[in-house]
Amino acid sequence: MMGFDVGRFQGNVDEELICPICSQVLEHPVQAPKCEHAFCLTCIMEWLSHQPTCPVDRIGISSSELQPVPRILKNLLARLVIACDYAGTGCQAMVKLESLQSHVQDCEHNPQKPVSCEQGCGLVIPKDNVKDHNCVKELRSLIQNQQQKFQEFQEEVVEQRLTINELKRELNYLKEFVRAVRSSHPTMRAIADQFEKDEVRRWASTLPKAKVSRWGAMISTPDEVLQSMIRRSLSESGCPPHIMEELMENCHETQWPAGLSSLQTRQRQRREYDSYVCRRIPGKQAVLALACDNQHMSEELMVEPGIVMIFALGIE
Amino acid sequence: MANIAAQRIKREFKEVIKSEEVAKCAIKVELVSDSYTELKGEIAGPPDTPYEGGNFVLEIKVPETYPFNPPKVRFLTKIWHPNISSVTGAICLDILKDQWAAAMTLRTVLLSLQALLSAAEPDDPQDAVVAKQYKDAPDMFRLTARYWTAAYAGGPYSNPDFDSKIRRLTDMGIESHDARVALSSFNWDLERATEQLFS
Repeated sequence: MMGFDVGRFQGNVDEELICPICSQVLEHPVQAPKCEHAFCLTCIMEWLSHQPTCPVDRIGISSSELQPVPRILKNLLARLVIACDYAGTGCQAMVKLESLQSHVQDCEHNPQKPVSCEQGCGLVIPKDNVKDHNCVKELRSLIQNQQQKFQEFQEEVVEQRLTINELKRELNYLKEFVRAVRSSHPTMRAIADQFEKDEVRRWASTLPKAKVSRWGAMISTPDEVLQSMIRRSLSESGCPPHIMEELMENCHETQWPAGLSSLQTRQRQRREYDSYVCRRIPGKQAVLALACDNQHMSEELMVEPGIVMIFALGIE
Repeated sequence: MANIAAQRIKREFKEVIKSEEVAKCAIKVELVSDSYTELKGEIAGPPDTPYEGGNFVLEIKVPETYPFNPPKVRFLTKIWHPNISSVTGAICLDILKDQWAAAMTLRTVLLSLQALLSAAEPDDPQDAVVAKQYKDAPDMFRLTARYWTAAYAGGPYSNPDFDSKIRRLTDMGIESHDARVALSSFNWDLERATEQLFS
């Protein structure tokens, strides 16, 4: 901690660029809010842990009130010319303060400069370790580390599975309970139905509206792989679980209403298609025509809770 | 010693040496150890005060945590002042305690001490006896302080009356410093000082 040694700079450094606490050239400068006195960040933080005042004029300040210094001060600092950190070990470079960090990282005299091993393992190691570097040893410890991590993950998975099973049991119990409550009382049933409907609406409102430009590209008999992709996407978008199964069943022409159930009927209804209110299934060439969005459609073309339509292309 | 403390003291040491005040012989600072942890300061008694003409030597100890904590300063030269202990040289000055600020330097500390000699704060005393005299018998205080300046700090003013009173006590086998303290404390009342010394 503390600023840059004044002696490392070319020429004289202006007093304004000196931290009043460490009396070195400002490093990561910040300033007090009212009086605008500037300090190195680490210096002023250390001081404020002793006393909540400006070290120059004792105006009260707290660490949260510290501000960045004006651009002009930053520029003046950036332009100063400083000797490399490794001047003591032979680096002759004088660089601008703003590029000191990048120079030091790459400096040939930096014993910590990262280099990649050329003996085979290709690991990136500090330059001063090259002499004692042993590929087999390094790789072995790497493997060991990863094995350990792997083991930890496995243990975690076992734990998580246990928790998941417990939660599943609890959830099933709750579901049973809700079902029992629902069937025992008509008011309860009404509340639960309303609750489920609201849930579907809320979810629907989070999905963007979509426009189908090529109804002909519809895939009316999606295979299982495609179905599971769509299911995943629905799940990720927050689809309420009570309609998930039914929705997924309604992605295949065998489950579609009469007006959509075969190629012939579909061709007959072609003109009606643009009346569907469709929502995009995120990331997929597929849309969702939910019953709650499409109460204006005839029974021939809509079923509860909605229809999933998958396309080869043409969704906007 | 922490790097930051050493760096600061090196720089401040130079600052004092180059300052105008040194040029005017008002303040001075010297290294005691190579590690910059201990220094010796010196301030001249300010004009128009009982300390005029005297040179007061200070012990300055720089803590590891400097400048986040103040330096520890005390007078090595004996002095008669309400805010400075006549026994230990300990100083009562807010900036050396809770009013310290990290941007203060050896130079500002020395100048503040010099200012303290010009303007005592008897209501916040370090030496109760001196403070009481300062308030109750200001003329006696001035004479005493000036006498101490002459005795310990090389001040120019002599006081034959005080000298003879001290001689009376030293003739009885009392150390001259003890005699000076006793007499000063009792407003140079020989009888009471004697009583106290022999009680």
